[in-house]
Amino acid sequence: MRLPRIFGKKRGHRRTGSEAWGSFGDGLFHGALVCAGLVFGSLLISGVAVPEWRINHDFVAARGRVLAKGLVKRTVDDPLAATTATWRPTLRVRYDAAGTSREAWTRSQPSTGSPDRDAAAVRLADWELGGEVPVWYDPADPAAVVLERGYNWWMWLLALLLPGALIAFGGSGLARAVRRWGRSEEALAAATGIPGLFGPRTPASPTATDLAGLPSCDDLVNSPGTQLRYRLPLESPENWTLLGLGLFAAFWNAVLLVLAVGAGLEFTSGRVDWLLLALLVPFIAVGGGAIALVVRGLVLAAAVGTTQLEISDHPLLPGATYDVLLAQGGSGRIRQLTLALELVEQATFRQGTDARTESLVVWRRQFDAWSDVALLPGARFEVRTTITIPADAMHSFTSEHNAARWRIVVRGVPARWPAFVRIFPVAVYPAPLPQPHQLRQPGRKVPA
Amino acid sequence: MSLAGETPRHGPQIDVQFDRADRCYEPGDDVLVRYDVGGLGIDTLRAVEHSVLWYTEGKGEEDLWVHFFERVAKPAVAGSFRVTLPQSPLSYEGVIVKIRWCARVRIFFHGGRDFVSEHVFDIGRVPPARMPQATKP
Repeated sequence: MRLPRIFGKKRGHRRTGSEAWGSFGDGLFHGALVCAGLVFGSLLISGVAVPEWRINHDFVAARGRVLAKGLVKRTVDDPLAATTATWRPTLRVRYDAAGTSREAWTRSQPSTGSPDRDAAAVRLADWELGGEVPVWYDPADPAAVVLERGYNWWMWLLALLLPGALIAFGGSGLARAVRRWGRSEEALAAATGIPGLFGPRTPASPTATDLAGLPSCDDLVNSPGTQLRYRLPLESPENWTLLGLGLFAAFWNAVLLVLAVGAGLEFTSGRVDWLLLALLVPFIAVGGGAIALVVRGLVLAAAVGTTQLEISDHPLLPGATYDVLLAQGGSGRIRQLTLALELVEQATFRQGTDARTESLVVWRRQFDAWSDVALLPGARFEVRTTITIPADAMHSFTSEHNAARWRIVVRGVPARWPAFVRIFPVAVYPAPLPQPHQLRQPGRKVPA
Repeated sequence: MSLAGETPRHGPQIDVQFDRADRCYEPGDDVLVRYDVGGLGIDTLRAVEHSVLWYTEGKGEEDLWVHFFERVAKPAVAGSFRVTLPQSPLSYEGVIVKIRWCARVRIFFHGGRDFVSEHVFDIGRVPPARMPQATKP
């Protein structure tokens, strides 16, 4: 038997890998976490939970007479060379245990101590010498006697949470490592869901869905048009940018207002904090600039007017032609208005610890253009045109990190305002499967 | 794990033949893959996995989708498998996104090692994408 290679290397088409060692190391790490969780959990259970449980269930109640009282000091050396001490009250009591009179100092959990000696002494004053107090003693060790019963819930929570988190995290990683062990990339990708995690290596259905990689177009066909079948939704990243900028401006200026009110109150009381005033100047500049940008964005959005696009069918198919209705609202004059179809590739990749997405228009065709469009308030500019999807066009494609997206883009150049771009996503699906009679044509059918 | 292309120099060798010499298929077509395993030496086969899958290449992280997968627990040095291809995605040679279809034959040896042979084929006839150039009607 040959051990897996520790290193990985790629030379041309040939690659030597270390997946086995990778899975082994991954499993080892997560197994160590599970072991740590088990050890930590068992220590907490045996050191905290079990003694507390015994006090509440096994200890026997008795009456004790207080003979002496004092404080127990517990010193803990910490790894950073500092020493911490806790104090807790203790009583020497005489009590009757199974017919035998006994004397002992009461015990309590270390966690009940206080770092404040005076507070512990005040608590000690609650008991009087010669008085009677309820006590509970251990029938297995009658010299062990306590003054209090009850549960320390946060300690129980700690005992469950920390080891539980370690066991859960380590266990899931261990299960993943076990699942990957000895399995190929294809077997892992073919097995889906919980059954695939531990199930047989061969999936029940050997072939996957017939329409993998196609984006859903449900959101694109849920709005009926006024003249054509569907009204396309507008993809408006600039609106989200405007919303984000608006929120930033609101938050920034709210903080600024609080600071300004503070400075104003000091000023009216006769004191002037020059440092605060100096700091306020750049803050006011940033706040004012943010408000100006938001107002400008709102004015531009309102001045240009809305753009609507309707289409005769959806999803689109290669080689097919579709009617499109373009409606532009607003007022004033638009020097040029164009309608184009674009294919955009999107790739998401990791750069260091960041995930970045790059987009690139790889195909563009302008289908129509209009010049000197006069917009009248209350009456939008409407025009019908057609677009044709190329017969050899790539269909829309979406996967986790990659995409090819089709979109209709309306670009306008108003006479008095900056140019605008409106994007309407569309989905292009592959052409339908050939009919059976086409499959029987010579050269189309695969020989057995 | 070892990965072999079309012409491995030494060690195991998997010769794969498609039923079409140009390896160009249409959506819904059947693809028939035949293979022969050679160069095994003293190694013996424990299992063979057949798969047909697509993966992405380009600037983004790789995405992979297995369309067909089967594991043969009692393998022979020669075999074949037939798969009906899906409607999508089509093979695509984009600028920053590429989609490749391939058939893989992975052999597992007694002793734990494995060796995979990958062979790319095309679905559809989408022309390669080029850098954008605005065209007018």
